[in-house]
Amino acid sequence: MSLLDLLADRRLVVVTGKGGVGKSLTSAALGRLIAGRGRRVLLMEVDPRESLHELAGVAPSGGDVLEVAAGLRLQNLQPVHVLEAVVREHLKLDVLVRRVTGSPVFTHFVDAAPGLKELAVLGHAYRLSRGLTRFPGGPPDVVVLDAPATGHGVSLLGAPSAAAHVITDGPFAHMASELAAFISAPSETAIVVVTLAEEMPVQEALELRDALGRSLARVPDLLVINALFPPFEREAAAGLGPVLADLWRERRAINERELARLERTWVGPRASLPLVPVPRGPSLVAAIVPALSEAVGHDGRSS
Amino acid sequence: MTMSPSGAAGLDIVVGAGGVGKTTIAAALALDWAHRGHDTLVMTFDPSLRLKDTLGVGDAARDREVAVGTGTTGRLAASLLDARATFDRLVVRYAPDRDAAERILANRYYANLSGSLAGVLEYMAVERLYEVASEGRYGRVVLDTPPTRQALDFLEAPQRIVGFLDSGALRIALKPWFDEHGRLVTARRLGPFGRGLEALLDRLVGLGVLRDMAEFFLAFGPLYDGFRERAHRVEALLRSAGTRFLLVTRPDEERLPETLFFARRLQEAGYHVGPVIINMCHPQAPGRPGLGRTTTAADLLAWLGARDERGLRAFRQRLGSHPSVDLPLLSGEPNDLATLDELRRSLAPGLVSG
Repeated sequence: MSLLDLLADRRLVVVTGKGGVGKSLTSAALGRLIAGRGRRVLLMEVDPRESLHELAGVAPSGGDVLEVAAGLRLQNLQPVHVLEAVVREHLKLDVLVRRVTGSPVFTHFVDAAPGLKELAVLGHAYRLSRGLTRFPGGPPDVVVLDAPATGHGVSLLGAPSAAAHVITDGPFAHMASELAAFISAPSETAIVVVTLAEEMPVQEALELRDALGRSLARVPDLLVINALFPPFEREAAAGLGPVLADLWRERRAINERELARLERTWVGPRASLPLVPVPRGPSLVAAIVPALSEAVGHDGRSS
Repeated sequence: MTMSPSGAAGLDIVVGAGGVGKTTIAAALALDWAHRGHDTLVMTFDPSLRLKDTLGVGDAARDREVAVGTGTTGRLAASLLDARATFDRLVVRYAPDRDAAERILANRYYANLSGSLAGVLEYMAVERLYEVASEGRYGRVVLDTPPTRQALDFLEAPQRIVGFLDSGALRIALKPWFDEHGRLVTARRLGPFGRGLEALLDRLVGLGVLRDMAEFFLAFGPLYDGFRERAHRVEALLRSAGTRFLLVTRPDEERLPETLFFARRLQEAGYHVGPVIINMCHPQAPGRPGLGRTTTAADLLAWLGARDERGLRAFRQRLGSHPSVDLPLLSGEPNDLATLDELRRSLAPGLVSG
């Protein structure tokens, strides 16, 4: 079984990492590959500013579920809408729902309550995966979640166990621990960390891995190393002039140093993706899919 | 020690999306102020504590200021901020007595969640900034802000906390809900029906949770006025003439809309926006910035150079008369003082006047 088969078997694939490393690109490419395995995939974005649609080549959705390819859908999820849906589910009466969700207490509570938005997002993915919530066009088999940047990534994944720690009895406690179990079970949830082969992003990827070990007692399933400069070629560089030649050599040297560091310190599958001269859009996703597929598509979990 | 004329420190707040180089720019700018003879503090709230690598200061800089050996005329110090420690200090300061403070600090709800309360990290950053600025030990303070895609979160943090305090959520929570036996007061008054209600609440949320929350908010009550007033003063500091916002971005055209949006929002809200810093521009390169199957490294470099050039043109055009500074992508990583020094030299002319 290849790593891709394993990922395609999970309910939730969380793609996380430092800001600006290519989480959305990786999510979009993984979504494609998993959909290519015949699974119904939902790409879920939790950023008030939509950007995944660009990579999918569709117009911004405003929160609606969009079909972007066969077996591949896209949704920009606002946590507050999930919470409103929960209120609606429990109160049923529209007048009451509006009174609750329209009140400043609700708005400020949602804004300020620790971990509530994170729980809402993960809870939504969980309920989708259990068929507990209605979903236009039928529930997806796999949710690929384009998570917020690292610092927030840990708090996202750690939210259920933190909540379960504080709330120790009652149905909320039950929900939180159920969700915590879902997130920490390698058979249910996959964690994909994205980085650049540069010192700071690698540092954050390693810190994220350690934090995941501490809070969830588990390791990431895959490390994606994005945007590698091509190997330095002295002869080709000579024609570019000293500034560019220096830039190429140095940037590649940084990449190689960090790749070597990851080789020493990262246990588990890794996928390296090249920096490609393609503008952000579906063609960029298409350009990196082969490299990603190459890294995760082999039997025997290559690294 | 050098002070700005008003006696208050000049503040530079470095804002922008994740991965644009805020931390490095904050450090380079602080180094420049120190070179110009100002005693300077650079503060970061970044949870991954990258500044410590860049400035060569270890965990010792967490929540206290550590001198950086730069050999500059002004002193340079760095500090890594900790939301929890700042929050604890606030609690101790505004609690009416030691007991009240202890009650909050020991509360299970506070202990587990004060650090993750939405906006607390951001709020504590400006809170520490206010503390440092009013102590007057530094002539310049540079603040690196938490990484966020929604850079506005950072500024909205004080209002959000005040909004929460004012919303009534706290007033509702501040009613004494539980009696000395830990039973719901309302439920007791309502007799058998009340016991039913209590049982229902217990089944839904768990009375233990409600008791913890109620205790936390009750204990927080006396802090309310001090906290609220403080938030207003923090807000005034952010709008004062000595405070400047430096917006960092990258030259990719897709970043243009959000950068302009943020700059406009800052200005409309009455903040002072300094030059926009367009960081990590690839140099222009000869060759065909082409796609295709036979793409070489030279084509890639040419493509990157052309893309950034096009982005820069778009930025300059849309920024109009608003000043901007563009910085080249460094060939090395800015993780030592020498590289920081190189960066500050390209940064300074556009950023510092006088």
